Amino acid sequence: MHKKLETYLEEIGHFLSGREEREEILADIRGHILEKAMGGNGPVDEAELEKAIAAYGAPRRVAEKYLDGRPVIAPAFQRHLFRYATFLFAVHLVFIACALVFKQSFMVFPFLFVPRLGIFEAVMYLPMAFLADFGAAALALHLLTRSGKEIKLPWPKFAVDLDEVKPAAARTIAARIATLVGAGIMLALTALGVHLYAKFSTIFLIGFNSEKFRPLLLPRPGQLISLAILVMMAAGTIVLFIKAFNASRRLACWIDLVADGSALVLIGLTLRQPFASLFAVHLPPRSLAWLHITLTVSLLFIALMVAIDLVANAVRLGRKRLAR
Amino acid sequence: MDNEFGAVETEMKRGFLQLLVLIVLEKDAYGYAMVRAFRDLGYEVEENTLYPLLRRLEKRGLIAGKWEMGEERPRKFYAVTAAGREMRAGLLQIWKKQDEIVKHIIKENKHA
Repeated sequence: MHKKLETYLEEIGHFLSGREEREEILADIRGHILEKAMGGNGPVDEAELEKAIAAYGAPRRVAEKYLDGRPVIAPAFQRHLFRYATFLFAVHLVFIACALVFKQSFMVFPFLFVPRLGIFEAVMYLPMAFLADFGAAALALHLLTRSGKEIKLPWPKFAVDLDEVKPAAARTIAARIATLVGAGIMLALTALGVHLYAKFSTIFLIGFNSEKFRPLLLPRPGQLISLAILVMMAAGTIVLFIKAFNASRRLACWIDLVADGSALVLIGLTLRQPFASLFAVHLPPRSLAWLHITLTVSLLFIALMVAIDLVANAVRLGRKRLAR
Repeated sequence: MDNEFGAVETEMKRGFLQLLVLIVLEKDAYGYAMVRAFRDLGYEVEENTLYPLLRRLEKRGLIAGKWEMGEERPRKFYAVTAAGREMRAGLLQIWKKQDEIVKHIIKENKHA
């Protein structure tokens, strides 16, 4: 019994779980490695055994040679995955909007179920809706792949073609300087925002004299909205710097994605706050009503833009991964 | 360039190795013995490629395998089947034809 060999075989066996010829495959490999380590005759030398194991290859690579290399989704259908997922998401968005406006749940069994949603739930629901749509599109394409039928899938043309993985365009020096200036301004604004937040726990202040600056909003909602904006500003600054120095576009996508997700959560939490107890200052009822509408519409618009950006970044990242 | 060459070489070797195995197994042999025999002929085979290939050929009925309990350890010996011989004959014809085509084109290129 050679412990190193058995450990190696166990690792290969792990990747072959469920295959009936697993033991026989392992016996083949065991026999080969032992034979090689013996060098024809005599007892097995441990150093030679290690060499033989190393030469045979990494366990996963070895196991993969025994597995049918059939793709989960046929290469001809892979480009349809994000296109169809985006299309489904657009339909899903319409149902979500209806659920929100009409305060009703919608069901198209077994494909779609949109529960009755509040504003917060609707914002939180968007990324999950995209994941569900992506899964549905992937499953459909997987089943088509398995069927092995010659099917020509339609290629709907709509909106921005996120599926195209375009190479980075060469940036002129002027464009780079402009981006750098923009990044500098964003950095200064973010720094100012962070400074205000550190001092007042919010970036929403009223008063013309710095001595009399007072928070506009109550501490909790003030903190949430401020954090949402600061997160977006910081992410925007980083992305601009990355673009200015032509660094990794992929990294920029990831940063954007994380910032979008965080902003959505913070916007959702903000919208959940009772509006009447939002302000730290006294406002006349009429102004309050107008502010309520303006703030809700603005935050919902921002949430929608952020959600779209989040989905677009997810599509770009996934598409690039597939294209490699 | 090396990567490109390696990828093409792997593609070429894949088919050639099948043919080689069908020829070598006219006499019973086991995996490690085949690897050594190929190496002695100057043909390096990735060890972890040969066994999956043997298994696939066996599944398709082109070779037959039989475990033999030797003194030291069990070994699986393989031999080509009638279906394997038929396949080998067809593959050899293709191989010869390809060889002729390549030689002919190279010859023409030299005269051009």
